[in-house]
Amino acid sequence: MKRKIAYFLVVFIGFLTLLGHFISYPPLNNFIDNDATQWFDIISGFAAFLGVINLLQLHLNKVANKRSNWKFSIFTLVSFIVMIIFGFIYNGSNVAMGPHLKEEGSAFYWMFHNIYLPLGATMFALLAFFVASASYRAFKIRNFEATLLLISGIFLMIGRVPIGQLVPWWMSLEIYIFLLFAIIASRFKEKKTMLYSMIGTMIFMPLLILFFNLSDLGIFKIPEFQEWIMAVPATAGSRAIMIGIALGTIAQSYRIITGRERSILGD
Amino acid sequence: MMNKYIKFIFIPSLILLFYFFFPLQIFLIGNETTFVSILFICFAIEYFIDKARNGEQIYMRPIAAIKAMEEAVGRATEMGKPVLYVPGISSLDQIDTISGLIILGHVAGMTAEYEANLHVPVCVPIVMETAKETCKEAYLKKGRPDLYRDDMVHYVTDDQFAYAAGVNGIILREKPAAIFFQGKFYAESLLLAETGNSIGAIQIAGTGSSSQIPFFVTACDYTLIGEEFYAASAYLSGSPEMLGCIKGQDYIKVGCIILIITVFMCSVLNSYGYINFDISSLFRISVIK
Repeated sequence: MKRKIAYFLVVFIGFLTLLGHFISYPPLNNFIDNDATQWFDIISGFAAFLGVINLLQLHLNKVANKRSNWKFSIFTLVSFIVMIIFGFIYNGSNVAMGPHLKEEGSAFYWMFHNIYLPLGATMFALLAFFVASASYRAFKIRNFEATLLLISGIFLMIGRVPIGQLVPWWMSLEIYIFLLFAIIASRFKEKKTMLYSMIGTMIFMPLLILFFNLSDLGIFKIPEFQEWIMAVPATAGSRAIMIGIALGTIAQSYRIITGRERSILGD
Repeated sequence: MMNKYIKFIFIPSLILLFYFFFPLQIFLIGNETTFVSILFICFAIEYFIDKARNGEQIYMRPIAAIKAMEEAVGRATEMGKPVLYVPGISSLDQIDTISGLIILGHVAGMTAEYEANLHVPVCVPIVMETAKETCKEAYLKKGRPDLYRDDMVHYVTDDQFAYAAGVNGIILREKPAAIFFQGKFYAESLLLAETGNSIGAIQIAGTGSSSQIPFFVTACDYTLIGEEFYAASAYLSGSPEMLGCIKGQDYIKVGCIILIITVFMCSVLNSYGYINFDISSLFRISVIK
Protein backbone atom coordinates (compact mmCIF):
# COMPACT_ATOMS: atom_id res chain seq x y z
CA MET A 1 0.00 0.00 0.00
CA LYS A 2 2.82 2.37 1.00
CA ARG A 3 4.54 1.74 -2.33
CA LYS A 4 1.31 2.18 -4.32
CA ILE A 5 0.84 5.62 -2.78
CA ALA A 6 4.39 6.50 -3.82
CA TYR A 7 3.72 5.36 -7.42
CA PHE A 8 0.47 7.28 -7.50
CA LEU A 9 2.21 10.47 -6.31
CA VAL A 10 5.00 10.09 -8.90
CA VAL A 11 2.56 9.53 -11.77
CA PHE A 12 0.12 12.24 -10.66
CA ILE A 13 2.70 14.96 -10.03
CA GLY A 14 4.61 13.94 -13.19
CA PHE A 15 1.58 14.36 -15.46
CA LEU A 16 0.49 17.50 -13.65
CA THR A 17 3.90 19.09 -14.22
CA LEU A 18 3.90 18.07 -17.87
CA LEU A 19 0.40 19.47 -18.41
CA GLY A 20 1.42 22.69 -16.71
CA HIS A 21 3.85 23.36 -19.54
CA PHE A 22 1.08 23.29 -22.16
CA ILE A 23 -2.15 24.34 -20.47
CA SER A 24 -2.83 27.98 -19.81
CA TYR A 25 -4.36 27.82 -16.34
CA PRO A 26 -2.69 30.30 -13.93
CA PRO A 27 -3.14 28.26 -10.69
CA LEU A 28 -1.56 25.22 -12.37
CA ASN A 29 1.24 27.29 -13.96
CA ASN A 30 1.86 28.96 -10.63
CA PHE A 31 1.97 25.57 -8.92
CA ILE A 32 4.63 24.12 -11.22
CA ASP A 33 6.66 27.33 -11.48
CA ASN A 34 6.62 28.42 -7.85
CA ASP A 35 4.82 26.19 -5.34
CA ALA A 36 6.29 22.86 -6.40
CA THR A 37 9.84 24.22 -6.47
CA GLN A 38 9.31 25.82 -3.05
CA TRP A 39 8.05 22.51 -1.66
CA PHE A 40 11.17 20.88 -3.03
CA ASP A 41 13.35 23.54 -1.37
CA ILE A 42 11.58 23.03 1.98
CA ILE A 43 12.05 19.25 1.84
CA SER A 44 15.72 19.76 0.83
CA GLY A 45 16.13 22.17 3.75
CA PHE A 46 14.95 19.53 6.20
CA ALA A 47 17.16 16.95 4.52
CA ALA A 48 20.16 19.23 5.21
CA PHE A 49 19.74 18.47 8.94
CA LEU A 50 19.81 14.76 8.14
CA GLY A 51 23.03 15.32 6.22
CA VAL A 52 24.65 17.13 9.12
CA ILE A 53 23.51 14.45 11.59
CA ASN A 54 24.83 11.73 9.27
CA LEU A 55 28.19 13.47 8.97
CA LEU A 56 28.55 13.85 12.74
CA GLN A 57 27.38 10.31 13.43
CA LEU A 58 29.79 8.82 10.92
CA HIS A 59 32.86 10.68 12.12
CA LEU A 60 32.06 10.37 15.84
CA ASN A 61 31.67 6.62 15.36
CA LYS A 62 34.96 6.49 13.52
CA VAL A 63 36.78 8.32 16.30
CA ALA A 64 35.05 6.42 19.11
CA ASN A 65 35.83 3.02 17.58
CA LYS A 66 39.26 4.11 16.31
CA ARG A 67 38.50 2.76 12.87
CA SER A 68 41.06 3.12 10.09
CA ASN A 69 42.07 6.74 9.34
CA TRP A 70 40.12 7.94 12.39
CA LYS A 71 42.58 10.82 12.87
CA PHE A 72 41.23 12.58 9.78
CA SER A 73 37.77 12.51 11.32
CA ILE A 74 39.04 14.63 14.23
CA PHE A 75 39.89 17.40 11.73
CA THR A 76 36.41 17.18 10.23
CA LEU A 77 34.75 17.35 13.64
CA VAL A 78 36.93 20.21 14.88
CA SER A 79 36.35 22.23 11.68
CA PHE A 80 32.62 21.57 11.95
CA ILE A 81 32.46 22.75 15.57
CA VAL A 82 34.62 25.83 14.91
CA MET A 83 32.36 26.98 12.04
CA ILE A 84 29.26 26.32 14.19
CA ILE A 85 30.75 28.48 16.98
CA PHE A 86 31.62 31.31 14.57
CA GLY A 87 28.26 31.04 12.85
CA PHE A 88 25.93 30.77 15.85
CA ILE A 89 27.77 31.75 19.05
CA TYR A 90 30.82 33.98 18.56
CA ASN A 91 30.42 37.05 16.34
CA GLY A 92 33.64 39.11 16.49
CA SER A 93 32.09 42.17 14.80
CA ASN A 94 29.74 45.02 15.71
CA VAL A 95 26.79 43.85 13.60
CA ALA A 96 24.02 41.56 14.85
CA MET A 97 24.15 37.75 14.61
CA GLY A 98 22.95 36.66 11.18
CA PRO A 99 24.11 39.62 9.08
CA HIS A 100 27.58 39.04 10.61
CA LEU A 101 28.06 36.16 8.14
CA LYS A 102 28.60 38.76 5.42
CA GLU A 103 30.36 41.38 7.58
CA GLU A 104 34.06 41.74 6.81
CA GLY A 105 35.14 42.08 10.46
CA SER A 106 33.40 38.93 11.71
CA ALA A 107 35.31 35.77 12.60
CA PHE A 108 33.06 33.67 10.34
CA TYR A 109 33.79 35.92 7.35
CA TRP A 110 37.53 35.75 8.08
CA MET A 111 37.46 31.96 8.26
CA PHE A 112 35.40 31.72 5.10
CA HIS A 113 37.57 34.06 3.04
CA ASN A 114 40.96 33.04 4.35
CA ILE A 115 40.57 29.29 4.73
CA TYR A 116 37.52 27.96 2.91
CA LEU A 117 37.78 29.92 -0.35
CA PRO A 118 41.56 29.42 -0.86
CA LEU A 119 41.11 25.67 -0.28
CA GLY A 120 38.36 25.58 -2.92
CA ALA A 121 40.52 27.60 -5.32
CA THR A 122 43.40 25.19 -4.73
CA MET A 123 41.25 22.23 -5.72
CA PHE A 124 40.08 24.09 -8.82
CA ALA A 125 43.67 24.98 -9.73
CA LEU A 126 44.61 21.30 -9.56
CA LEU A 127 42.47 20.89 -12.68
CA ALA A 128 45.26 22.39 -14.79
CA PHE A 129 47.61 19.53 -13.85
CA PHE A 130 44.91 16.90 -14.29
CA VAL A 131 44.04 18.30 -17.73
CA ALA A 132 47.73 18.01 -18.68
CA SER A 133 48.00 14.37 -17.54
CA ALA A 134 44.67 13.45 -19.18
CA SER A 135 45.68 15.16 -22.43
CA TYR A 136 49.00 13.33 -22.44
CA ARG A 137 47.18 10.00 -22.28
CA ALA A 138 44.56 11.03 -24.86
CA PHE A 139 47.15 12.39 -27.30
CA LYS A 140 49.27 9.22 -27.39
CA ILE A 141 49.24 8.01 -30.99
CA ARG A 142 47.62 4.56 -30.75
CA ASN A 143 45.10 4.59 -33.56
CA PHE A 144 43.60 6.83 -36.23
CA GLU A 145 41.14 8.51 -33.84
CA ALA A 146 43.87 9.33 -31.32
CA THR A 147 46.00 10.77 -34.14
CA LEU A 148 43.10 12.97 -35.27
CA LEU A 149 42.64 14.11 -31.67
CA LEU A 150 46.35 14.96 -31.41
CA ILE A 151 46.32 16.93 -34.67
CA SER A 152 43.18 18.88 -33.74
CA GLY A 153 44.60 19.50 -30.26
CA ILE A 154 47.85 20.89 -31.68
CA PHE A 155 46.02 23.19 -34.09
CA LEU A 156 43.73 24.43 -31.33
CA MET A 157 46.63 25.10 -29.00
CA ILE A 158 48.71 26.93 -31.62
CA GLY A 159 45.70 28.80 -33.02
CA ARG A 160 44.63 30.17 -29.65
CA VAL A 161 47.97 31.73 -28.67
CA PRO A 162 49.43 34.93 -30.23
CA ILE A 163 52.26 33.04 -31.95
CA GLY A 164 49.66 31.19 -34.04
CA GLN A 165 48.94 34.40 -35.95
CA LEU A 166 52.60 34.72 -36.91
CA VAL A 167 52.78 31.32 -38.60
CA PRO A 168 53.11 32.01 -42.37
CA TRP A 169 50.99 30.20 -44.95
CA TRP A 170 53.87 28.10 -46.29
CA MET A 171 54.73 26.81 -42.82
CA SER A 172 51.09 25.73 -42.31
CA LEU A 173 51.25 23.99 -45.67
CA GLU A 174 54.44 22.15 -44.70
CA ILE A 175 52.78 21.08 -41.42
CA TYR A 176 49.83 19.65 -43.38
CA ILE A 177 52.23 17.78 -45.67
CA PHE A 178 54.09 16.33 -42.67
CA LEU A 179 50.81 15.22 -41.12
CA LEU A 180 49.60 13.70 -44.37
CA PHE A 181 52.79 11.68 -44.69
CA ALA A 182 52.61 10.67 -41.02
CA ILE A 183 49.17 9.16 -41.73
CA ILE A 184 50.08 7.45 -45.02
CA ALA A 185 53.61 6.40 -43.95
CA SER A 186 52.60 2.77 -43.43
CA ARG A 187 51.54 2.51 -47.11
CA PHE A 188 55.13 2.99 -48.33
CA LYS A 189 57.21 -0.15 -48.62
CA GLU A 190 60.53 1.70 -48.69
CA LYS A 191 61.52 4.57 -46.44
CA LYS A 192 63.56 6.23 -49.20
CA THR A 193 60.54 6.42 -51.53
CA MET A 194 58.54 8.05 -48.78
CA LEU A 195 61.30 10.55 -48.01
CA TYR A 196 61.74 11.57 -51.65
CA SER A 197 57.98 11.86 -52.16
CA MET A 198 57.66 14.02 -49.08
CA ILE A 199 60.53 16.33 -50.03
CA GLY A 200 59.14 16.59 -53.56
CA THR A 201 55.68 17.49 -52.26
CA MET A 202 57.17 20.00 -49.82
CA ILE A 203 58.90 21.83 -52.67
CA PHE A 204 56.24 21.42 -55.36
CA MET A 205 53.09 22.26 -53.34
CA PRO A 206 54.11 25.81 -52.20
CA LEU A 207 54.99 26.63 -55.85
CA LEU A 208 51.62 25.29 -56.95
CA ILE A 209 49.82 27.38 -54.31
CA LEU A 210 51.76 30.48 -55.39
CA PHE A 211 51.02 29.81 -59.06
CA PHE A 212 47.27 29.63 -58.44
CA ASN A 213 47.46 32.49 -55.91
CA LEU A 214 45.78 30.44 -53.14
CA SER A 215 48.00 31.50 -50.25
CA ASP A 216 45.19 33.64 -48.73
CA LEU A 217 42.93 30.63 -48.11
CA GLY A 218 41.70 30.29 -44.51
CA ILE A 219 43.08 26.78 -44.22
CA PHE A 220 46.62 28.19 -44.30
CA LYS A 221 45.89 30.50 -41.36
CA ILE A 222 46.02 28.42 -38.19
CA PRO A 223 43.78 30.74 -36.07
CA GLU A 224 41.07 30.56 -38.75
CA PHE A 225 41.50 26.82 -39.15
CA GLN A 226 41.11 26.19 -35.42
CA GLU A 227 37.98 28.37 -35.42
CA TRP A 228 36.60 26.12 -38.16
CA ILE A 229 37.44 22.98 -36.14
CA MET A 230 35.52 24.38 -33.17
CA ALA A 231 32.59 25.72 -35.22
CA VAL A 232 32.00 22.79 -37.56
CA PRO A 233 33.24 19.27 -36.57
CA ALA A 234 33.27 19.90 -32.80
CA THR A 235 29.84 21.55 -32.80
CA ALA A 236 28.38 18.83 -35.03
CA GLY A 237 29.66 16.12 -32.67
CA SER A 238 28.44 17.85 -29.52
CA ARG A 239 25.00 18.52 -31.06
CA ALA A 240 24.65 14.86 -31.96
CA ILE A 241 25.34 13.98 -28.33
CA MET A 242 22.89 16.64 -27.16
CA ILE A 243 20.11 15.28 -29.38
CA GLY A 244 20.77 11.84 -27.87
CA ILE A 245 20.67 13.31 -24.34
CA ALA A 246 17.38 15.08 -25.07
CA LEU A 247 15.79 11.89 -26.42
CA GLY A 248 17.13 9.91 -23.48
CA THR A 249 15.73 12.47 -21.04
CA ILE A 250 12.27 12.31 -22.63
CA ALA A 251 12.29 8.48 -22.68
CA GLN A 252 13.53 8.25 -19.08
CA SER A 253 10.97 10.81 -17.87
CA TYR A 254 8.22 8.96 -19.76
CA ARG A 255 9.22 5.67 -18.10
CA ILE A 256 9.15 7.32 -14.68
CA ILE A 257 5.86 9.19 -15.00
CA THR A 258 4.06 6.21 -16.49
CA GLY A 259 5.21 4.15 -13.49
CA ARG A 260 7.33 1.75 -15.54
CA GLU A 261 10.68 2.75 -14.06
CA ARG A 262 10.26 1.66 -10.47
CA SER A 263 13.87 0.95 -9.51
CA ILE A 264 14.10 4.26 -7.66
CA LEU A 265 11.24 3.12 -5.43
CA GLY A 266 12.96 -0.19 -4.79
CA ASP A 267 11.20 -2.43 -7.33
CA MET B 1 -4.88 -5.08 -35.09
CA MET B 2 -7.86 -2.73 -34.88
CA ASN B 3 -6.94 -1.93 -31.29
CA LYS B 4 -3.45 -0.94 -32.45
CA TYR B 5 -4.82 1.48 -35.03
CA ILE B 6 -7.06 3.04 -32.41
CA LYS B 7 -4.27 3.25 -29.85
CA PHE B 8 -1.42 4.52 -32.00
CA ILE B 9 -3.11 6.45 -34.80
CA PHE B 10 -6.60 7.46 -33.71
CA ILE B 11 -5.80 8.62 -30.16
CA PRO B 12 -2.74 10.78 -31.07
CA SER B 13 -4.65 12.28 -34.02
CA LEU B 14 -7.56 13.07 -31.70
CA ILE B 15 -5.22 14.73 -29.19
CA LEU B 16 -3.65 16.80 -31.98
CA LEU B 17 -7.07 17.85 -33.31
CA PHE B 18 -8.12 18.77 -29.79
CA TYR B 19 -4.88 20.73 -29.23
CA PHE B 20 -4.98 22.72 -32.46
CA PHE B 21 -8.72 23.19 -33.05
CA PHE B 22 -10.24 23.48 -29.58
CA PRO B 23 -12.32 26.68 -29.69
CA LEU B 24 -11.41 27.89 -26.19
CA GLN B 25 -7.93 29.27 -25.54
CA ILE B 26 -6.77 26.75 -22.93
CA PHE B 27 -3.34 25.95 -24.35
CA LEU B 28 -0.21 28.09 -24.05
CA ILE B 29 0.82 29.73 -27.32
CA GLY B 30 4.34 29.05 -28.61
CA ASN B 31 4.74 25.49 -27.36
CA GLU B 32 3.22 23.75 -30.40
CA THR B 33 6.49 22.23 -31.70
CA THR B 34 7.38 20.92 -28.24
CA PHE B 35 3.90 19.46 -27.78
CA VAL B 36 3.85 17.68 -31.14
CA SER B 37 7.41 16.33 -30.63
CA ILE B 38 6.67 15.03 -27.13
CA LEU B 39 3.38 13.48 -28.26
CA PHE B 40 5.03 11.77 -31.23
CA ILE B 41 7.97 10.48 -29.14
CA CYS B 42 5.73 9.18 -26.33
CA PHE B 43 3.44 7.29 -28.72
CA ALA B 44 6.40 5.86 -30.67
CA ILE B 45 7.92 4.59 -27.40
CA GLU B 46 4.55 3.22 -26.33
CA TYR B 47 4.22 1.40 -29.67
CA PHE B 48 7.52 -0.43 -29.18
CA ILE B 49 6.71 -1.18 -25.54
CA ASP B 50 3.47 -2.73 -26.78
CA LYS B 51 5.37 -4.78 -29.36
CA ALA B 52 7.81 -6.02 -26.70
CA ARG B 53 4.97 -6.86 -24.33
CA ASN B 54 3.37 -9.00 -27.05
CA GLY B 55 6.45 -11.17 -27.07
CA GLU B 56 8.30 -9.80 -30.10
CA GLN B 57 12.03 -10.45 -29.91
CA ILE B 58 13.97 -7.24 -29.45
CA TYR B 59 17.64 -7.04 -30.35
CA MET B 60 19.66 -4.66 -28.27
CA ARG B 61 23.10 -3.66 -29.42
CA PRO B 62 25.64 -4.53 -26.73
CA ILE B 63 26.90 -1.54 -24.72
CA ALA B 64 30.40 -2.25 -23.41
CA ALA B 65 30.07 -0.01 -20.33
CA ILE B 66 26.93 -1.81 -19.13
CA LYS B 67 28.44 -5.22 -19.69
CA ALA B 68 31.54 -4.11 -17.76
CA MET B 69 29.53 -3.13 -14.66
CA GLU B 70 29.15 -6.66 -13.38
CA GLU B 71 32.77 -7.49 -14.28
CA ALA B 72 33.95 -4.46 -12.31
CA VAL B 73 31.98 -5.52 -9.22
CA GLY B 74 33.28 -9.09 -9.63
CA ARG B 75 36.83 -7.82 -9.88
CA ALA B 76 36.40 -5.76 -6.70
CA THR B 77 35.08 -8.85 -4.90
CA GLU B 78 38.02 -10.97 -6.03
CA MET B 79 40.50 -8.31 -4.94
CA GLY B 80 38.73 -7.81 -1.61
CA LYS B 81 38.46 -4.09 -2.27
CA PRO B 82 35.40 -1.83 -2.09
CA VAL B 83 33.23 -0.53 -4.92
CA LEU B 84 32.88 3.26 -4.94
CA TYR B 85 29.75 4.84 -6.40
CA VAL B 86 29.63 8.60 -6.99
CA PRO B 87 26.10 9.84 -7.90
CA GLY B 88 27.18 13.32 -9.04
CA ILE B 89 26.81 16.66 -7.29
CA SER B 90 23.29 17.70 -8.27
CA SER B 91 20.04 17.34 -6.43
CA LEU B 92 16.97 15.27 -7.26
CA ASP B 93 15.56 17.96 -9.55
CA GLN B 94 17.99 16.76 -12.23
CA ILE B 95 17.09 13.73 -14.34
CA ASP B 96 20.79 12.74 -14.37
CA THR B 97 20.77 12.31 -10.59
CA ILE B 98 17.60 10.21 -10.79
CA SER B 99 19.19 8.06 -13.52
CA GLY B 100 22.33 7.74 -11.40
CA LEU B 101 20.26 6.55 -8.44
CA ILE B 102 18.39 4.04 -10.58
CA ILE B 103 21.71 2.59 -11.77
CA LEU B 104 22.88 2.62 -8.13
CA GLY B 105 20.00 0.26 -7.35
CA HIS B 106 21.33 -2.22 -9.91
CA VAL B 107 24.95 -1.84 -8.77
CA ALA B 108 23.88 -2.30 -5.13
CA GLY B 109 22.09 -5.48 -6.21
CA MET B 110 25.33 -6.73 -7.74
CA THR B 111 27.39 -5.89 -4.64
CA ALA B 112 24.79 -7.66 -2.50
CA GLU B 113 25.01 -10.74 -4.71
CA TYR B 114 28.82 -10.76 -4.80
CA GLU B 115 29.14 -9.72 -1.14
CA ALA B 116 31.34 -6.81 -2.13
CA ASN B 117 31.72 -3.69 -0.03
CA LEU B 118 29.82 -0.68 -1.44
CA HIS B 119 30.69 2.92 -0.59
CA VAL B 120 28.50 5.84 -1.72
CA PRO B 121 29.70 9.33 -0.72
CA VAL B 122 26.96 11.87 -1.46
CA CYS B 123 26.99 15.62 -2.02
CA VAL B 124 23.33 16.51 -1.42
CA PRO B 125 21.45 15.41 1.74
CA ILE B 126 18.17 14.65 -0.07
CA VAL B 127 20.08 12.45 -2.54
CA MET B 128 21.67 10.69 0.44
CA GLU B 129 18.27 9.73 1.84
CA THR B 130 17.10 8.45 -1.56
CA ALA B 131 20.35 6.58 -2.17
CA LYS B 132 20.05 4.95 1.26
CA GLU B 133 16.54 3.71 0.48
CA THR B 134 17.63 2.52 -2.97
CA CYS B 135 20.54 0.52 -1.55
CA LYS B 136 18.48 -0.87 1.32
CA GLU B 137 15.77 -2.08 -1.09
CA ALA B 138 18.36 -3.57 -3.47
CA TYR B 139 19.98 -5.56 -0.64
CA LEU B 140 16.56 -6.66 0.59
CA LYS B 141 15.52 -7.72 -2.90
CA LYS B 142 18.63 -9.85 -3.26
CA GLY B 143 17.87 -11.50 0.08
CA ARG B 144 20.93 -10.02 1.80
CA PRO B 145 19.61 -7.32 4.18
CA ASP B 146 22.28 -8.46 6.66
CA LEU B 147 25.00 -7.03 4.39
CA TYR B 148 23.47 -3.57 4.26
CA ARG B 149 25.12 -1.03 6.55
CA ASP B 150 23.68 2.39 7.29
CA ASP B 151 27.04 4.11 6.78
CA MET B 152 27.36 2.62 3.29
CA VAL B 153 25.77 5.81 1.94
CA HIS B 154 27.00 8.93 3.69
CA TYR B 155 27.02 12.68 3.34
CA VAL B 156 30.28 14.50 2.61
CA THR B 157 29.54 18.15 1.86
CA ASP B 158 27.44 20.40 -0.36
CA ASP B 159 30.41 22.32 -1.80
CA GLN B 160 31.61 21.18 -5.23
CA PHE B 161 35.39 21.21 -4.69
CA ALA B 162 35.23 20.23 -1.04
CA TYR B 163 33.23 17.19 -2.19
CA ALA B 164 35.84 16.46 -4.87
CA ALA B 165 38.57 16.68 -2.21
CA GLY B 166 36.60 14.39 0.12
CA VAL B 167 35.96 11.76 -2.57
CA ASN B 168 39.58 11.96 -3.77
CA GLY B 169 40.65 11.31 -0.18
CA ILE B 170 38.38 8.25 -0.02
CA ILE B 171 39.78 6.99 -3.36
CA LEU B 172 43.40 7.40 -2.23
CA ARG B 173 42.89 5.88 1.23
CA GLU B 174 40.55 3.00 0.41
CA LYS B 175 41.84 2.28 -3.10
CA PRO B 176 38.57 0.86 -4.48
CA ALA B 177 38.88 -1.65 -7.31
CA ALA B 178 35.84 -0.32 -9.17
CA ILE B 179 34.56 3.24 -9.35
CA PHE B 180 31.23 4.31 -10.84
CA PHE B 181 30.61 7.95 -11.75
CA GLN B 182 26.92 8.09 -12.64
CA GLY B 183 25.03 11.37 -12.41
CA LYS B 184 25.38 15.06 -13.06
CA PHE B 185 28.96 16.32 -12.96
CA TYR B 186 30.64 19.65 -13.52
CA ALA B 187 34.30 20.73 -13.27
CA GLU B 188 35.06 18.15 -10.57
CA SER B 189 34.63 15.29 -13.06
CA LEU B 190 38.26 15.28 -14.17
CA LEU B 191 39.59 15.71 -10.61
CA LEU B 192 37.70 12.57 -9.57
CA ALA B 193 38.32 10.49 -12.69
CA GLU B 194 42.06 11.23 -12.83
CA THR B 195 42.50 10.33 -9.16
CA GLY B 196 40.63 7.07 -9.79
CA ASN B 197 42.82 6.43 -12.82
CA SER B 198 45.99 6.99 -10.78
CA ILE B 199 45.13 4.11 -8.41
CA GLY B 200 44.33 1.74 -11.30
CA ALA B 201 40.65 1.21 -10.54
CA ILE B 202 38.19 0.13 -13.24
CA GLN B 203 36.17 3.27 -13.86
CA ILE B 204 32.73 3.36 -15.45
CA ALA B 205 31.25 6.79 -16.02
CA GLY B 206 27.89 8.01 -17.27
CA THR B 207 26.57 11.52 -17.45
CA GLY B 208 24.20 13.74 -19.34
CA SER B 209 26.55 16.74 -19.01
CA SER B 210 27.84 16.96 -22.57
CA SER B 211 30.76 19.20 -21.52
CA GLN B 212 32.08 16.56 -19.09
CA ILE B 213 31.86 13.56 -21.44
CA PRO B 214 35.33 14.22 -23.03
CA PHE B 215 36.97 14.20 -19.58
CA PHE B 216 35.34 10.91 -18.65
CA VAL B 217 36.20 9.37 -22.03
CA THR B 218 39.85 10.31 -21.45
CA ALA B 219 40.18 9.21 -17.84
CA CYS B 220 37.73 6.29 -17.49
CA ASP B 221 37.76 2.76 -18.90
CA TYR B 222 34.13 2.89 -20.03
CA THR B 223 31.77 5.80 -20.55
CA LEU B 224 28.03 5.84 -21.13
CA ILE B 225 27.63 8.63 -23.66
CA GLY B 226 24.44 10.65 -24.06
CA GLU B 227 21.31 8.54 -24.23
CA GLU B 228 23.20 5.36 -23.25
CA PHE B 229 23.32 6.75 -19.72
CA TYR B 230 19.53 7.07 -19.55
CA ALA B 231 19.03 3.70 -21.22
CA ALA B 232 21.38 1.90 -18.80
CA SER B 233 18.78 1.25 -16.12
CA ALA B 234 16.30 -0.13 -18.67
CA TYR B 235 19.07 -2.23 -20.18
CA LEU B 236 20.12 -3.58 -16.77
CA SER B 237 16.55 -4.41 -15.76
CA GLY B 238 16.21 -6.62 -18.86
CA SER B 239 12.39 -6.46 -18.80
CA PRO B 240 10.78 -6.53 -22.28
CA GLU B 241 8.83 -3.34 -21.53
CA MET B 242 12.00 -1.40 -20.78
CA LEU B 243 13.85 -2.84 -23.76
CA GLY B 244 10.93 -1.89 -25.99
CA CYS B 245 11.29 1.64 -24.68
CA ILE B 246 14.96 1.75 -25.74
CA LYS B 247 14.05 0.36 -29.15
CA GLY B 248 11.46 3.10 -29.57
CA GLN B 249 14.08 5.66 -28.58
CA ASP B 250 16.47 4.28 -31.23
CA TYR B 251 13.81 4.53 -33.96
CA ILE B 252 13.10 8.12 -32.97
CA LYS B 253 16.81 8.80 -33.33
CA VAL B 254 16.68 7.39 -36.87
CA GLY B 255 13.67 9.65 -37.49
CA CYS B 256 15.68 12.64 -36.22
CA ILE B 257 18.54 11.83 -38.61
CA ILE B 258 16.13 11.61 -41.57
CA LEU B 259 14.50 14.87 -40.48
CA ILE B 260 17.86 16.66 -40.21
CA ILE B 261 18.85 15.48 -43.71
CA THR B 262 15.45 16.53 -45.12
CA VAL B 263 15.61 19.97 -43.48
CA PHE B 264 19.20 20.40 -44.71
CA MET B 265 18.28 19.48 -48.29
CA CYS B 266 15.19 21.73 -48.27
CA SER B 267 17.20 24.62 -46.82
CA VAL B 268 19.84 24.24 -49.55
CA LEU B 269 17.16 24.14 -52.26
CA ASN B 270 15.46 27.16 -50.65
CA SER B 271 18.69 29.16 -50.55
CA TYR B 272 19.23 28.51 -54.29
CA GLY B 273 15.63 29.49 -55.03
CA TYR B 274 14.36 26.07 -56.16
CA ILE B 275 11.66 26.07 -53.48
CA ASN B 276 10.01 29.12 -51.93
CA PHE B 277 9.49 27.81 -48.42
CA ASP B 278 11.87 28.05 -45.45
CA ILE B 279 11.30 24.67 -43.75
CA SER B 280 13.55 25.56 -40.81
CA SER B 281 10.95 28.13 -39.67
CA LEU B 282 8.76 25.18 -38.60
CA PHE B 283 11.36 23.99 -36.13
CA ARG B 284 12.27 27.24 -34.41
CA ILE B 285 12.65 26.57 -30.69
CA SER B 286 9.79 28.05 -28.73
CA VAL B 287 10.25 29.33 -25.22
CA ILE B 288 7.83 27.98 -22.65
CA LYS B 289 6.15 30.92 -20.91
